[in-house]
Amino acid sequence: MKKTVLLLLVSAWCAVPQTTPVSPSPAPAPITEAGLKNVPAPSAAARAKGDPDGSLTGTAADVAVSDARKGLTIGDLVNQVGQNRIAINFVWTLIAGFLVMFMQAGFALVETGLCRAKNANHTMMMNFTVYGVGLLAYWLIGFSIQMGGVGAVGNLGGTPPLNAEYAVTLFGKSFGIFGQHGIFLTQAGTYDVGVMVVFLFQMVFMDTALTIVTGSAAERWKFAAFIVSSFLMGAFTYPLFANWAWGGGWLAGLGANFGLGHGYADFAGSGVVHAVGGLSALAAAMIIGPRLGKFTRTGKPNAIVGHDLVLVLTGCFILAFGWFGFNPGSTLGASGNGSLRIGSVAVNTMLAGMAGGIAAMLYMWLRYGKPDASMSGNGLLAGLVAITAPSGFVNPVGSVIIGAIAGVLVCLSVEYVERKMKVDDPVGAVSVHGVNGLWGVIATGLFADGKSNYGGSWNGVNGSVTGLFYGDPGQLVAQLIGAATLLGFVFVLSFVLLLAVDWMVGHRVSAKAELEGLDLPEMGALGYPEFELKAGSAGA
Amino acid sequence: MRIVLGLLVCLLGFALSLLSLALTASVNGRLILVVIGMAMTLVGIIALINRACVKNAIWRK
Repeated sequence: MKKTVLLLLVSAWCAVPQTTPVSPSPAPAPITEAGLKNVPAPSAAARAKGDPDGSLTGTAADVAVSDARKGLTIGDLVNQVGQNRIAINFVWTLIAGFLVMFMQAGFALVETGLCRAKNANHTMMMNFTVYGVGLLAYWLIGFSIQMGGVGAVGNLGGTPPLNAEYAVTLFGKSFGIFGQHGIFLTQAGTYDVGVMVVFLFQMVFMDTALTIVTGSAAERWKFAAFIVSSFLMGAFTYPLFANWAWGGGWLAGLGANFGLGHGYADFAGSGVVHAVGGLSALAAAMIIGPRLGKFTRTGKPNAIVGHDLVLVLTGCFILAFGWFGFNPGSTLGASGNGSLRIGSVAVNTMLAGMAGGIAAMLYMWLRYGKPDASMSGNGLLAGLVAITAPSGFVNPVGSVIIGAIAGVLVCLSVEYVERKMKVDDPVGAVSVHGVNGLWGVIATGLFADGKSNYGGSWNGVNGSVTGLFYGDPGQLVAQLIGAATLLGFVFVLSFVLLLAVDWMVGHRVSAKAELEGLDLPEMGALGYPEFELKAGSAGA
Repeated sequence: MRIVLGLLVCLLGFALSLLSLALTASVNGRLILVVIGMAMTLVGIIALINRACVKNAIWRK
């Protein structure tokens, strides 16, 4: 009885809110010019002794002043804050761009490893050369078409010179078609620090799309034809679609103009980069035709195995590393406008990538009895490709689902492309980038959870990108229109341009050169001069 | 010839997707039109263009 009373008393005491009087915190004193003068700064004598613990470095003494006679003013302080934010975003975006540039090495290793040793030099040289060819095409005209009318990029200081978008009126609305400022990075005031950062970051994305095509056409593509084709793609095909999605073009405006969610949303480029690259790769593989010996006279495919799985998986790891530039870097900043979501974007990227890798490995294991290494690598890449568009808009659970579906999808697609379509794609570029790029675009319209907030709006529509599963079917329609544009316009444009190059230069090397291996006939030197290549073996 | 036809079918599918913006204001209506447009482009790519390319493929000779 006593115990019960005691328990009741204790419970009652606990139930009574234990309030303590909270005194209101004093209002912060306003910053005044006089107050700034009194902020303690380390003396010259103290600094001369060194600063082992870092407490004397980075103080009021390090704020740049505009007039030394006046000393530190409120204006100086505010300007410094603004510059710090932009500086953080510049550095973030540039470093992310450097990571994406390093992906070229990953692609080179994956593609070369999946090809035969007799074509190693040729495959590596295509991956090496595409960087420079694409860069020059993009500098010449591509960047202008893509970003010349993007308007303000707030995270990078506004980029005011990029303000001329050519638009037509269709269905009573303005349809942005291409940008007009930025040719040679000098025209119309584009010799600008912010514009340079945008150029670098966008250029390495464009080059990723270009290098995808070298995989599907490997081991039989004439080097000269490859150069011309890559130039055209870097100058026109890629920039045009990228403008529609990212440069203020009509796809981005589907939300503001037609009420379709937030317009076509492609955070880091499943569609813009990978589907454009993958569909161009399909066009190239169709036009060039399969390698000699890939299909029997009855159309049955023969396996032509690559010469170095170590290169392939090392390349996959490099690509996965570079993807941390691709996706989180697409915030174009780490400070302001919701950019702190970079942590979430990075985690989504790693989750989807490995979900894809594991799903592909398990699929192959169950279907063929062994965990195929090259398809596991392709599964990783498929997961990364698929999460590229949704990475900024979805949660970790959605990322794993998107990645796992991509891992299985790439296996099914590789089989379909080879067995049903009879298209020879030595590295699986069409399936990894084309099919999963489209899947990533559609997945955004399904899984975007409406929790992201990049400065309060996206593509000029207030609020967060929200997919069908979270209540906005209009977003899915916008994504599907993007996918239809990729299939119905980008593929056609790529096909026509590649066909034109075929008529002018001819894509395919001679049968003799192909059988011998392209290293000597096309490049003049073997990739592995001290190796004995056995004719007729899989590796040769 | 079949390649040209395939390219035209692809463009037609793209045009239908685009026209969905003007033909109806209903989200479901647009969804259906866009899906039909995408299906048309796939027919153009797989059934027309690719078949034409495979018809002259090197392994058939």
